[in-house]
Amino acid sequence: MYVILVYDIEEKRVAKMLKLCRRYLNWIQNSVFEGEITDVKLKELIHEARKIMDKEADSLIVFKSRQAKWLEKMVIGKEKNELDNIL
Amino acid sequence: MRKSYYLFNPGRLSRKDNTLKFTPLDEDGNEGTPKYIPIESVDNLYTFGSLDANSAMYNFLGKEQVSVHFFDYYEHYTGSFMPKDYLLAGKMLIAQSEAYSNKKKRKQIAQKLVDGAAFNMLKNLRYYNNRDKDTLTQIERIEALMLRIPFAEDIETLMGIEGNIRMSYYAAFNVIINDFEMGNRSKQPPGNEVNAMVSFVNSMCYTLSLDMIYHTQLNPTISFLHQPGERRYSLALDIAEIFKPLLADRLIFSLLNRKQVQQTDFDNRLNSCLLKDSGRKTVVKAWDEKLNETIKHRSLGRSVSYKHLVKLECYKLSKHILGIEEYKPFRAWW
Repeated sequence: MYVILVYDIEEKRVAKMLKLCRRYLNWIQNSVFEGEITDVKLKELIHEARKIMDKEADSLIVFKSRQAKWLEKMVIGKEKNELDNIL
Repeated sequence: MRKSYYLFNPGRLSRKDNTLKFTPLDEDGNEGTPKYIPIESVDNLYTFGSLDANSAMYNFLGKEQVSVHFFDYYEHYTGSFMPKDYLLAGKMLIAQSEAYSNKKKRKQIAQKLVDGAAFNMLKNLRYYNNRDKDTLTQIERIEALMLRIPFAEDIETLMGIEGNIRMSYYAAFNVIINDFEMGNRSKQPPGNEVNAMVSFVNSMCYTLSLDMIYHTQLNPTISFLHQPGERRYSLALDIAEIFKPLLADRLIFSLLNRKQVQQTDFDNRLNSCLLKDSGRKTVVKAWDEKLNETIKHRSLGRSVSYKHLVKLECYKLSKHILGIEEYKPFRAWW
């Protein structure tokens, strides 16, 4: 499954969230990640995220799509991080 | 789905916040913007450029079951960092050694490997023969040689037959490939463009086999067709033999004939010919896409990637060695 994950988290917890998400997905913009992930891995990620978040103040949204090819992506302006497995 | 990452840029790979951080370096040694590689998505790493790293990174990779394969400046495979074996099985090792030391058993497996490889080579030649490339002489020659496989008395004869098959097969490369001449197979260093491609893609194929063997209980040092030498994972050579025609050679044909790789992608120096970085990147990209391509598997009844096909081959071989099911080499059916 291919997902886009965005979060809005209070400043003191945001660094933790960033570090967590970097392990599972590719960073593309501030508070935005995307990448290929399995069901189990996503559950794992959400479970960990819950521990960090304050339910009253923070939010995290995951957009799922079956495959990357069903996702049309447009970048306007500077692409902050190109995704490639050939570095 | 985990994927392979290919590192061409020189740089520093480090462990940071429990994931990987890659800081590219330019020619003057200045650091570029770091890129984070999500560790949970990494299957293995291939490094072509020079890589700085420390043991903390390797400890971490070991824990995450990620292996790193190294290639030198001349595109040779130089070695791998493998996390400690996690599928240890004494029973398997004993059975594998037994299958090796029993002459009859070893010959039987070796024959199947040669047969499978030859069959897949023929598939390629027939395919091109139907497309206005006259490879009939080579086809007939290989067919004649294949008949001798069941009667080979020992491994040496078998290796001889295999060598002859491969020679006829390589002769057909000149017919199949449009703008380049292969001539004789030359390595260390490769003498011309086609040889450079063959060497490079073959080493990728070898590494792939090794990687798949690692994920089974087979021991990569005990081989059947190739002599189990020292300091070499010779079982990977055995497995690669079957898949080279299908994965490596077809890729070479299409890259060269579609002009995706051209004269300018090669570097001719000092009687040798090597791929430039640009060419290498094109090849690696195509190779990676090829491995993730899927086909409908006949007996499994579901789609599997080419990469997984290699792993299935290892499973079949282990089943044969343990006496569960007779090994049938993979034969391309399309």
